[in-house]
Amino acid sequence: MKFAIAVFSAAHAPSSRRALLFAQAALAGGHEIVRLFFYQDGVHSASNNIVAPQDEQDIARQWREFVSQHQLDGVVCIAAALRRGMLDQGEATRYQRSAVNLEAPWALSGLGQLHDAAQNADRLICFGGT
Amino acid sequence: MAKSLLVISRQAPWSGPSAREALDIVLAGGAFDLPIGLLFMDDGVFQLTPHQDAKAVQQKDLSANLQALGLFGIDEVFACAHSQAVRGLTSPASAAPLDNPGITRLIDRYDQVITL
Amino acid sequence: MSTLHVVSHSPFTDSRLDSCLRICGSQDAILLCGDGAYGLQQSALHTQGVKVFVLAEDLQARNLSLPDWAERVDYPGFVQLSITYDKVNAWL
Repeated sequence: MKFAIAVFSAAHAPSSRRALLFAQAALAGGHEIVRLFFYQDGVHSASNNIVAPQDEQDIARQWREFVSQHQLDGVVCIAAALRRGMLDQGEATRYQRSAVNLEAPWALSGLGQLHDAAQNADRLICFGGT
Repeated sequence: MAKSLLVISRQAPWSGPSAREALDIVLAGGAFDLPIGLLFMDDGVFQLTPHQDAKAVQQKDLSANLQALGLFGIDEVFACAHSQAVRGLTSPASAAPLDNPGITRLIDRYDQVITL
Repeated sequence: MSTLHVVSHSPFTDSRLDSCLRICGSQDAILLCGDGAYGLQQSALHTQGVKVFVLAEDLQARNLSLPDWAERVDYPGFVQLSITYDKVNAWL
């Protein structure tokens, strides 16, 4: 089964962790993830500047490691990201901002990537809110 | 054949970028000629109220995006009749009212759903 | 066509579960997760005749007891439900 997974909440929201555990279970079950797409506040789940207290789960880091380890296609919506101050090196340079909080394995791209993923998947699963 | 996607928009237009970003999903799908439907439900039906004044709260007008739906080939635009009734609204011409069983059937005939 | 509705907000502070129940089809099911698990405390839920699942970790975290009209699933079970049903409608 091919899954497209869309995440609409920040790393500190329970639904971001739920999406991660769903994605892990999908791969463990022998399924394929055609793409992870991060939209709305979900762009914060891709931040590399989150500092979690030592005794708390660092979901953003776990997302990063999961995507890297399985060489998944992790796409962050560029319009939603810019609006929320999530910038890769290219965008930080373009808009002359001092901080970069998005880097590999994440890639900034447009909403077309969400539709493309949905078209190529057997199931589209969204996670967001609480 | 392309998979069809129904977007259910439940947010009032003034609760941050959520309503606009839901519409953006719809318009992006339309730009790719995908079969996209849009249903306004719960507070989402407030997006259809005419003559709202975005400038009063320094926001961008969402109505331009709504008017663009037709240009992007989005013809399936519906409003939840129950949500409108409990909010004292009548259905505007821009969205066809659907009762609850109608919404059940609508979701049924789409391949995928995003509810925001 | 059947739909798995996923609700993660408490029905006692939020209208998502109510809205979901209004338009839930006879072939559909509801998966409660997060604070949506508190929906198990809402007696109206099981009178609707719709199949109800709850994410096991959220049941355990909240010390909720599982009523006989609901079924618990773990994450592999969640994945399987998303396959069993034709589509997933998450009430974000």
